[in-house]
This record gives sequence, structure tokens and C-alpha cells, in this order.
Amino acid sequence: MNGTLDPKAASELRHELRTPINHIIGYAEMLREDCTDGSPDAATIDRIIGVAREVLALINAALPPTGIATLEDLSGLLADLATPQETVLAATTVLLEGAHDAQFVADVERIAQAVRRLTAVPVPSALTGARESGPYAGTGTAGAAATVRAAGAAPDVAITPHSTSARAGSKGRILIVDDVEENRAVLARRLEREGYDIDSAANGEDALRKVAQDGFDLVLLDVLMPGMDGFAVLERITGNPDTRSIPVIMISALDDLASVVRCIEHGAEDYLTKPFDPVLLRARIGASLEKKRWHDREADYLRQVTRVIEAASAVELGTYAPGALAGVTGRDDELGRLARVFDAMAAGVHARESRLREQLRELQSDVSLATTEYEAMHQSAVTDGGDALAVGSVLGDRYEIRGVLGTGGMGVVYRARDRKLEEDVAVKTIRRELLTGDAVLAERFMSEIRLARRISHRNVVRTHDLGDADGQLFVTMELVQGLTVRELLMTRGKLGVASTLALARQFTEALAVAHAAGVIHRDVKPENALIDGDGVLKVMDFGIARLAEATSTRTQSGLIVGTPAYMAPEQLVGEEVDARADLYALGVVIYECLTGTAPFQAPSAVALIARVLTVEPVPPARENPDVPPALSALVMQLLSKAAAQRPASAAVLLEQLAELG
Amino acid sequence: MPRILLVEDNEMNRDMLSRRLQRRGHTVELAVDGLEGVARALEGGWDLVLMDMSLPEIDGWEATRRIRAAGASGQMPIIALTAHAMSGDRDKALDAGCNDYDTKPVDLERLLGKMQALLTPPA
Repeated sequence: MNGTLDPKAASELRHELRTPINHIIGYAEMLREDCTDGSPDAATIDRIIGVAREVLALINAALPPTGIATLEDLSGLLADLATPQETVLAATTVLLEGAHDAQFVADVERIAQAVRRLTAVPVPSALTGARESGPYAGTGTAGAAATVRAAGAAPDVAITPHSTSARAGSKGRILIVDDVEENRAVLARRLEREGYDIDSAANGEDALRKVAQDGFDLVLLDVLMPGMDGFAVLERITGNPDTRSIPVIMISALDDLASVVRCIEHGAEDYLTKPFDPVLLRARIGASLEKKRWHDREADYLRQVTRVIEAASAVELGTYAPGALAGVTGRDDELGRLARVFDAMAAGVHARESRLREQLRELQSDVSLATTEYEAMHQSAVTDGGDALAVGSVLGDRYEIRGVLGTGGMGVVYRARDRKLEEDVAVKTIRRELLTGDAVLAERFMSEIRLARRISHRNVVRTHDLGDADGQLFVTMELVQGLTVRELLMTRGKLGVASTLALARQFTEALAVAHAAGVIHRDVKPENALIDGDGVLKVMDFGIARLAEATSTRTQSGLIVGTPAYMAPEQLVGEEVDARADLYALGVVIYECLTGTAPFQAPSAVALIARVLTVEPVPPARENPDVPPALSALVMQLLSKAAAQRPASAAVLLEQLAELG
Repeated sequence: MPRILLVEDNEMNRDMLSRRLQRRGHTVELAVDGLEGVARALEGGWDLVLMDMSLPEIDGWEATRRIRAAGASGQMPIIALTAHAMSGDRDKALDAGCNDYDTKPVDLERLLGKMQALLTPPA
């Protein structure tokens, strides 16, 4: 910017600028005369006088008495006025905060008024055209004269007296970043009086270090600083995920639109120009902090919701640690209540799962011991039943017989190789005479097998297919490597309470899923449940028993397939049975596991049936004192003569077992 | 107690300077523009007039010229005050009839020195 100012304009400007300086110095010196040397007010007033004299020197240098002023010097002067102006305004604020008489207050306010006029002077038109590249670029001024800052916007500096005696807790933690010490001190003092916790930084690097270390609720950031300026600091704060949520209010002497836009674009919460209006500043700080509080509250809430969700996943995965929601359960809102209820439930689930795991371990141990003991016997069984199908023969061009797994009332069970699917299966042959001549029975059998095929559950032996090879009916099933519960009981005598509960629970789950599919087993007994090496129990022969049952009734031979020891009274007398007959049978199995003996024993089938129908069994707890009373009572309930007195369903029984632990 | 007439249009200047002078034992009366300044000055009884140069109606130079032109009643000491403080202002003030000249911002001790010199008759 070249050129000189019109001498008359220079003279006018000199007058306009020196007049407020005259007021500042005059009033300040008067106030100083009333102060005691060494008092805080005296120091503040001396500072005002000092700054005013410095400004006077600047004015005299830029606008010399000769009237020859360059536009460049003048432009520099106008830019240089902002900081001292702010310093004097801050000092007047400090002075007004003390207790003083009306005259003192009025004089200080006049100083403030005068210092504001300093940047409200009419700027010569020669400067306005050159402004686009200067520090006032973008102010949008036009015409012969424009003001550096609109005089009408001069703020009211009056400060509401604030009690410092009763500061109950901080209203928020604020970091003030400004390279001018006076600015920091004044702002800090004022905000501290308002109840804020204040820290300050003199440069950008220091500010970033403090922001990273301490949790601030708000940053007041000066734009123009030597070294790293406010824009750079702002970018770092908003660019860091850890500090992004801290609101930043920019404070600057620059009030051009471009820098405001730049700050807002970089994530500044707000923008204030120096000298700031204390009322506006207070309002904006309050608003920013309130927003931050809501943001923090929301973030905290979401974090805690996430913890509850994670806890729910952990419960599912079995990794939930009781007390994991400690921070959330202390809340006194709905989330806290949810967390408390959840925590209590999860702790219950956790405890029960621990017990279940313990029970399963005991069952595994029983199975392991029994397997070793039983192996020889099992081998001999294979040689016993080889009369129907020879090892190596192929059934229906598909199942290659590998050996005999067992024999039953309906046929023989073989281990076979499915040549089509290249896997081992169990094949159960059905004696032909069971089906011949009764199309209705055959159809019901087929439909039951079809239903059973739909059951897919870890505690049910999967039924694959029903086949007919040259008149030989057979059912193919999942091959399970393990012992039947019968075999387990034969070797172990009886099982502990924990093992029994693990077994009973799995048995009940199998029945619950089958009953839900519309399939009643009708022949629940220790021989029809297999336990593998992992302690997983699998119930087999769903649907097949109907055949035997129907056959026995039809022939009226009095010969009951299997044993009446597991049949419910209603089943024995030939009444229509429902799912509760299976529950009765399970009661017998559990009784046997707990005591090592069946609840009813008799020398003949007829005598046994009579006992089942008429005699109350001895409660298992009396047979085995280790059996808890509640478990004993549950078994007795399962063994009720009347189906209506038993648990209503396998699902209900599952709940009752869960309550036992 | 010296009786001073302060002719000053700027309220803050009037308030500040009058109070400062009163603190130093002067009686200060006020006029707010050039015409009032001339009228009050010619009422008589002033030990000294402090005349701002930038005044409405008529400026300080013109006011001074009119006071001096009034004859015997307009011969009290007049000190010109200006915030312009441009080179030549001093001569311009003295040419108009002022006894002395000082600039604003006011350096009170300097101004009091100049006033004292004019208030004390030459020995």
C-alpha cells in the first residue's frame, strides 16, 4: 500500500485518536491520585496509563504532526490498536469488579467508553479502497468513511457483581489460550469469579499439550498468536477423536467474514471478536458448556448402553463376569434400573451355568469310567446278534453292515456304512410281522417316523430315513458313539445328584422338542438314551415305540414289549396317552439314576403292573440321603398315578429342574 | 483561588479536566461552544481561559480573536488546547491571540506549569 494521506484528513484522524487517549489518561490519572500506592487498583490503573501512552506514541508515529502520513503506516496503526484496546478494556473490567463509589465506577466506565472509541474512528476513504488485502479485508465497508468497528456496537462493560465466597463446585473447566498475558489474566479472573475452573496457555503447543492431558469442557482460543496460530490449534483439537468433543470458542481481533467462516468450518463452536462483550461472552460460554454437558451425558449414556449390550452378548457366550456393570447399576435412571435387573439376572444365569458345567463334568466322568468298564461286554453283544444280517452284507444297495449295536423287541440295530453319503449310520431293522396285515398301523407308523425326522436337536438321535429292502423294513439313524443310560447304570450302579441332574435336563430338553413337534416317545427308558464321551445325552427311537405298543395291544398277547417298569399307569391300562406318559417314564429313569433301583420291583410283570397302578413308591431321598428334598419331591411328582398331577409338560419340567440348580 | 473558564465541547474532556483542575485548587466554569465561550469570557472576572480549538459554532481561533477584539474585557490569559497537535498549530494559536498552547492528551503537570506562568504576574 503506497501513497500518503491528505494532510487535513491526517490532522482530523490524529485529533480523533488522541482525544480518547486524552480521556483515558486524564481519568486514569485522576483515579490513580485516589489510590494508595501499591494497591491492586493502583497497579491496574498504572497499566492503563502505560498502555495509553504507548498507543499515543503509535498514533504520533503513524500520524506525525507534520501531517505527512503514509497509508501503510496508518493501516498498520489501525491493526495495532486492537490489542492495547483490549488490554485497557480488560483492566477497566478488573477495576469495576472491586467495591467502589459511584464516581469511581463512572470514571472507569468513561475510560472504557473512550478506549472503545479508539477503534470506532472514521477511517479515511483513501484506506477503504486498499483494504481488500489488508487486515480489514472482507469487512464489506463502502463509502467515504467506515468505522473500524461500529461505534453503535460498543458493549456495555458493566459487570454483575459476583460473590466469590460461596463457590460450590466448578461450573466447568475452561482453557484460555492467548499470547497476551494481560488478556489471559483478566479473562481468567473474570471467569473464576463466575465459578469456572480456569487454566491458561500462552501458545498453541502448550494449549494442545494441556488439552490432551486434562479434561476441559471448553477452550477459549485466540486466533492471532505467534508460532502456531489459533486456526492450527483449532484444526488439531477438532481433528483428534479424543478432543473433538471439546467445544472451542475463537476470540480474535479479526472480525472479517473469511476468518469467521474458516473457524466455523474447522469446527469452532462459536466466534467472538475482541474487545468482546462480557455479557455475550458469558452467554456463549454458558451455551457451549450446556451443549457439551448434554453431549457428554449422551455419550456417557450411549457408552453405558453399549456396556449393557456387551454384557448381554457375554451372557450368551458364557463369558459374563458378575459385577461387570458396576458403573451402570449405580445410575438412578431407567438405564440404571435395567442394568440392576440385568446384573442380578445375569449373575443368576452365571451361577447356574457354573453349576450346570460342574454337573456335566461329573456326568462326563461317570461316562468315561463306565465306558472303560463296559467295553468287553459291548464286544460280546456284537457277536450275540449276528443272526439276521451278516457283517459285510449290503442293505438296499446302500448300507453296508459293519456290526451289531444291539437287539430289541422290534429288531436288531446295526452299525452300517452309508455308501451313498460315505458316513457311518445306525440301521434298525423292523420285524416284518409287526406291520403285516394292518395298513392303518403301518400308515401311522410311517407318519410318526416322518414327524420324527423333522426333529433336529442335540439331545435327539437324528432319524434319517425309513427304508424297505426286499421286504426288510429298516430305519436309519445318526450313529452315536457312547453308552446307553442302561449301560451307564449297570456299570456305575447309581449316579450322583449332579450327574443325574445333567442327564435329566438333557432328557427333558429332548422330550420338550419332540412334544412340541407332536411326537410322543412312548418308550422312554434307560436303553433309549445314549450318552457320548462329552456327556451329551441323545434320546433315540422316537415314534418307533408306537409300533410295538400297538402291536402288543392288537395281539392281546399280554406280552408287553419292553418293560412295564417305565410305563405310566394310564399307558398300562390302555388309555390314550399324552406327553405326560413320557414324563412319568422319565421320572422312573431319574429315580433309578438317583437310587440305583427302579421305584417298583416285582417278581413278575403282572405283579409289577399291579404295583405301578396301586403302590406309592418310596421317595428317592429316603433311598439315598444325598438326594435333596426338592429333587425327591419333583421325582415323586413325575411318578404321580394321575397324569394331571405331573408337571404339565416337558417345558414346565425344565423350569422346575432349573429351579433346583 | 484562580477562576478558570474552560471552553470545551467534548463532555468528557470538560468533566475530566474541570475536575482535575478543581482538585488542584482552581474554580472552573464551563462553556460548550465557541459563541458561548466568547460570551462567558467577556462577562469578566476570569483569571485564565482554557480554549479548545475544535469547537462548534465558531472554532477556538475565531473565538479567541473575538475575545481579544472586545478590548479591555478580553485581555485575560488564554491557553489554546488541541488534540490535533499539528505542526503550525502553535503558531496559528499564538497568531489568533492565545498566550500559550498545549496539546491533548493533557499532561497535567505541563499544563499547570503553563497556567501558573500566566497566573503569576511578572515580578
